Amino acid sequence: MRFEEQLLMDLKTEMTARNERSRRVGRRLLAGAAVAGLAAAAAVAVPLLTGPGPAYAVSENPNGTITVELKEFRDADKLEQDLKDLGVTADVAYLKPYTKCRDDRGALAGGGYDTPEEWRASVHYKVARPAGKSFVITPRYVGEGQTLVLEFTENPKGPYTSQLNAMVIEGSVKPCVPEHDPTQLG
Amino acid sequence: MRLKRGKLATDPVAFEAFYRRHVDAVTRFLSRRVDDPHTVADLTADVFLAVLDSAHTYRPGRGSEIAWLYGVARNTLSSERRRALRESQLTHRVSGRRPLDGDDVSRLEERIDAERPARAAFEAMTGLPDGERAVLELVVLEQLTPSEAAAALGIRPGTAMVRLHRARKALRHLPFVMEGIPR
Repeated sequence: MRFEEQLLMDLKTEMTARNERSRRVGRRLLAGAAVAGLAAAAAVAVPLLTGPGPAYAVSENPNGTITVELKEFRDADKLEQDLKDLGVTADVAYLKPYTKCRDDRGALAGGGYDTPEEWRASVHYKVARPAGKSFVITPRYVGEGQTLVLEFTENPKGPYTSQLNAMVIEGSVKPCVPEHDPTQLG
Repeated sequence: MRLKRGKLATDPVAFEAFYRRHVDAVTRFLSRRVDDPHTVADLTADVFLAVLDSAHTYRPGRGSEIAWLYGVARNTLSSERRRALRESQLTHRVSGRRPLDGDDVSRLEERIDAERPARAAFEAMTGLPDGERAVLELVVLEQLTPSEAAAALGIRPGTAMVRLHRARKALRHLPFVMEGIPR
């Protein structure tokens, strides 16, 4: 068989495996929120290939939290506006695979964290939590003069379709400067 | 034939059709840049894997299918991307050393041989600034129009024209840089 034919077969197998995986991924989500060193990140499953239609869905829950389901990594500005309308000042960045925003977005509310335990106890962990294919924002963790910063890195390979780095910034937020990130979840 | 956005990564029939339309163009694209049959085969696999990864970035109507594919192929070849691939795909079923039989090797060698002048051109371009080289590569080596090259690189057509002009000026002593410019 010509190598082109063999390659096509392998690629189709890969494609089937990926499509299967994106259907299964929801259940695996909370198996392990990753803390790589001190860079705290949570994984969110975002089925990326849904075609035309809204890029995301935002809904308010009876307990005051907000559920956001991301379908595609676009319209960040619109999402920021929708969150603003619900009382949350947010800064949303979508990043290409293996990149992250430079670690200088601003002053972490509450002085930040030094260990995974401190991270889990902090507002930065609690403010936006993965939940199935969505994530849930708890607005009361974002105070007056603070901004919820959400950085999503696309993940083409592993069981997660994106990786979320969330934080609450006190005062002004610097724009995201993308840089290479070899530590992305695989 | 144009693809619907996103279908490429989820519909095996659409993907197979896309693959068959372009696999030869991709091996030629790679033969203009590397001269080893095994590397060409391995990179072909990586480019089509990147197609699966990047299918959601394809916008029908914004540049041609081939221009988009060359954009993906260029990114795949960039050193950053290569490093990330190596780190993430150690146990990958598609990437890595592709098995080639004797016929495959001789077909690829013929192709690589045929692209010798283009490889010389590619090497001559290495001294140019990245942005200019990218445009020149796509226009001179891949025969895209400047606006298709702009679409492949995600820059404005005007910017592409300016960079092309500068690049040609810098390399004006090389005949192939002024030749093979379509339309």
